[in-house]
Amino acid sequence: MSDLRITRPLTPQPALRGCTRLVSRAIRLEALPEGHVIQVLGTPHAPLAMERLAPLSDGAPQAVRAAGPGQWFIVGDRAKTHAELGDILAALQPEAFGVDQSAGRVRIRASGPMVERMLAKGTAVDLALTRFPVGEATTTLVGHIAAHVTRIGDEAFEIMVLRGFAQSLWDDLARMSAEFLED
Amino acid sequence: MASLVPCPHCGARPKEEFTIRGAALARPRADAEPAAWMDYVYLRDNPRGRYEEHWHHTAGCRRWLVVTRDTATHEIAASRDASLDTVGVKRTEGARS
Ligand SMILES: [Zn+2]
Repeated sequence: MSDLRITRPLTPQPALRGCTRLVSRAIRLEALPEGHVIQVLGTPHAPLAMERLAPLSDGAPQAVRAAGPGQWFIVGDRAKTHAELGDILAALQPEAFGVDQSAGRVRIRASGPMVERMLAKGTAVDLALTRFPVGEATTTLVGHIAAHVTRIGDEAFEIMVLRGFAQSLWDDLARMSAEFLED
Repeated sequence: MASLVPCPHCGARPKEEFTIRGAALARPRADAEPAAWMDYVYLRDNPRGRYEEHWHHTAGCRRWLVVTRDTATHEIAASRDASLDTVGVKRTEGARS
């Protein structure tokens, strides 16, 4: 891992500062803390097992998410120190490489009884609980923005997006949620 | 929402998530005649009916796929990873069609 410690100075302010939580009985949209996001790049033909990656996460449910053949994200709400990141990246070797994306990707939580209907306005992925159970994750377009979607509960999803698109995606999600925020 | 393209890793996705590269052709040997490389790099048939194309699932799993598509009806008969078989094992060069 590089000795450069650029993560914090690069991101002095949260990408979604000023995006206040939107809450109704039907829907709830909130920006999550910019903790850590580690992209795991393995070999597609010999993917790492979840059991190998889970101990490297902070232990929260769905902290490890699949992102295509041989690729994963390890995420959490708490920022990692340079040393902690170094340990995780070293532990992934030699089967996989880890990339610190903590400053590069932003997480948004969307939940509530109408969350599937809200997200269905933006993506073609079938988000029905039977087809997309808790723990399932995939990358898809939400509108015109590529985003990584994880189901973290029966009525709760996390949407992870490149930092530069976070504000745009938030605005889109807020608009998609508008009809459910009126009560 | 337009045509749905089946991805072996992600399921049916709208074509907007993909980038199309064009015909999936057998690559000539490195020392093949210049004419063979000219043909491979530049010359394309314009088939009517079913043929194989490379599609990249750009906004999804980011894998290259070989999609069997009918140019007249846009019906998609098959879709597979360009280098992995269905159980995720690396395809050997000789096994590629
Ligand atoms: Zn895919």
